[in-house]
Amino acid sequence: MEPTQALEGIRVLDLSDEYSHYAGKLFADLGAEVLLIEKPGGSALRHRPPFLDRIPGRRSAAFESFNTGKRSRVIDLDSPDGWHDFECLVREADLIIEDWPNDVAGRRGLSIDALAVLNPQVVLATLTPFGRTGPYANYAASDLTVLALGGFLTMVGYPDLPPHQLPQRQAIAIGSMFLAVGAMMALFAAQRDKLGQHVDVSMQECVTMATENAVQTFDLTGSVRKRFAGSQRHAGTGLFEVADGYVYLFAGGMAARRFWANIVTWLADEGEPGASALADDRWTDLSFMSSEEAKAEFNAIFAPFVRKRTKAEIYQQGRDRQVPVCPVSSPRDIAENRQMAYRGFFQQVDIAGGTFRIPGVPFIMSETPGQVSAAPELNDAGLDYQTQRRAAS
Amino acid sequence: MTRGGNPPLKGVRVADFTWIGAGSFTTKLLADCGAEVIKIETATHLDTLRMTPPFRDDLPGVNRSGYFADRNSSKLSICLNVKTPAGLDLARRLVAISDVVANNFRPRVMDRLGLGYDYVRKLKSDIIYLSMSMQGSAGPDAHSVGFGLTIGALSGLQSLAGPVDRPPAGSNTNYPDHVPNPCHAAFAVMAALIHRNRTGKGQFIDLAQTEPMVALLAPHMLQYAVDGVVVERMGNDDPTMCPHGVYPCAGNDRWIAIACASDAEWARLSECLGGRAPRRWANADCRRAERAKLDAWIGARSGLLDRYALMRDLQDAGIAAGVVQDARDLVENDPQLAHRGRWVRLSHPEMKDSIYGNVPYRLTRTPAKLFSPAPLLGEHTEHVCREVLGISAGEFETYRAKGAFE
Repeated sequence: MEPTQALEGIRVLDLSDEYSHYAGKLFADLGAEVLLIEKPGGSALRHRPPFLDRIPGRRSAAFESFNTGKRSRVIDLDSPDGWHDFECLVREADLIIEDWPNDVAGRRGLSIDALAVLNPQVVLATLTPFGRTGPYANYAASDLTVLALGGFLTMVGYPDLPPHQLPQRQAIAIGSMFLAVGAMMALFAAQRDKLGQHVDVSMQECVTMATENAVQTFDLTGSVRKRFAGSQRHAGTGLFEVADGYVYLFAGGMAARRFWANIVTWLADEGEPGASALADDRWTDLSFMSSEEAKAEFNAIFAPFVRKRTKAEIYQQGRDRQVPVCPVSSPRDIAENRQMAYRGFFQQVDIAGGTFRIPGVPFIMSETPGQVSAAPELNDAGLDYQTQRRAAS
Repeated sequence: MTRGGNPPLKGVRVADFTWIGAGSFTTKLLADCGAEVIKIETATHLDTLRMTPPFRDDLPGVNRSGYFADRNSSKLSICLNVKTPAGLDLARRLVAISDVVANNFRPRVMDRLGLGYDYVRKLKSDIIYLSMSMQGSAGPDAHSVGFGLTIGALSGLQSLAGPVDRPPAGSNTNYPDHVPNPCHAAFAVMAALIHRNRTGKGQFIDLAQTEPMVALLAPHMLQYAVDGVVVERMGNDDPTMCPHGVYPCAGNDRWIAIACASDAEWARLSECLGGRAPRRWANADCRRAERAKLDAWIGARSGLLDRYALMRDLQDAGIAAGVVQDARDLVENDPQLAHRGRWVRLSHPEMKDSIYGNVPYRLTRTPAKLFSPAPLLGEHTEHVCREVLGISAGEFETYRAKGAFE
């Protein structure tokens, strides 16, 4: 039978405790058999608040989100029996995902060399805050401190306040995404060469991928990018308050230049008196657009225009006039987003006896559509395994 | 472990119509793993990133942008004006011998050019065709235009980031372009390649650039779906750690991030800062209840200290602390990034010696690296035509005369 899911038949052992669950989820949602191996009591993420209150069990919103499509088995990897069980699973596995601290991996003897003896084709993909080796390898870390050391945090926030974090632990998310891509590359090579390898991923290093052009700007010009929330980046690029919230407009700056005329036409058609002033040639000059004068002048025309209108009006008109402007959406707005609904992005999933509409796979594959199903109950695959062992013995 | 071997994607050819941010970053991930990525450009409608700062010597030029360079390592560039019949013919010949076609245009742009999926699959039945427009190829809002920052607004990143008592701050960057969209797109292409190798079937991948960001914010979507809770932004608060924040250090706009996971860590943290904290703060609930006072107490002390010295002291005490590093720090002051070879300097005809970010995963057996600097505009036009498409010198000149290479 031809596979109906892209990664059907690929076996993943997911040893994620705190960080790398999202990587295993990406594999599971495309049909890989992902077994989440949890320590007694469950992986650390199961215990992370906030918990979902209206369903039974103490269910972590993050755990339920980032473990869709997996099954769970509890194994005490510090016991000889547990380690033996793990080794048996390794022989049948294509990929092992893990995020153990360096000392734990060292103590348990988890390394590509040891695994290759059991299964030369297996890929080991490791996500840690700083990587397996180096002067900071054993530094204590949290998402916030890794965002800081990775150079992203300095770019985020209001200039008169300390920099601020991003929602849902983005350093961990960034690391997990690159871990998944790196693991995929190694898996692809393993299918070709019949040889696995180690993929070593540092969250800090991955976070530097999110620093836009900051490093090149420093290298080429010597200037260091700072945070600028609360002001326009260029005239025409920034946050604007509307009748019922905020919108973000991106119409100034190099890449957006070709949309400028659309704004001018829009304002003119709506009878805004300032529209003609924005048609001037000055507004094609990038250095003028970066000036405080230009930002103030644009604000004086655009802010009153949008203030009288709602998010939905601005979004719809901007969309139809090819102006890059979007509403600042809350989770409720996103749940009600008609475009995502049209695409079937949200899926109905049964969790603890209830059916809920949660984010599905964020891309559509025409031949092998992915799908999400509920995160596993602790050790839901453990019983199967015991049955198999009894049958075998 | 045996070293050596070919790069993972050796032998995979990508006809790359992507441009600007998310698209170019996606195909870079493939190129740095050894795919032959042929970037199809035209001087008549430039990839705007080529004209986006920073420039070498502050001098704008199509081959001088560091922003463009970093996102286009390891690629070949061919100039084809696909709006000419001759250019379109070459583009189609290229697509017909590619494994992957990628674009991040608005919906229907590729169809109008004569390079849509339905046409391309007739040329190459097992083609993997990646389309990554802002909102996907069909639907009521599919004709939107946008950039990373507007996508961040639509997908919840903006509303959920920042202090509670200010307007939503977001990330101040085009974050969805840099990580969520390229990673999900590259992952999907890889999955499609695995499927094709097993079944001989290609497919169409339709990625809406709003959805990966929402997938990453899924816990907040579950809180809404299950509990009906609409989460607000929470500044630098964390549900388990306190203190948890960003504190001033000695110097101008110098900061350190500190995350304290337990009462025992708090005892050591307050010790590092000179002690004499109110005794009731030994209890996490008290610390949380008096967050503002607690942060002020820490800030008054950290503000006198050198940021790196404080980080080392706190790390010696086992506390998660990290200097808020800026671009200079990443390049000059970080021994860990240096140890990992994070930064690579490549020599380029116009950029000269300039900095690139390395591949963000270390593969121990098969190389994944920056194979070459960003291409000059059209640098490989003749090479691709002659060596990849196998056209003769005479034919090449005929195409040139017909305006194919503008």
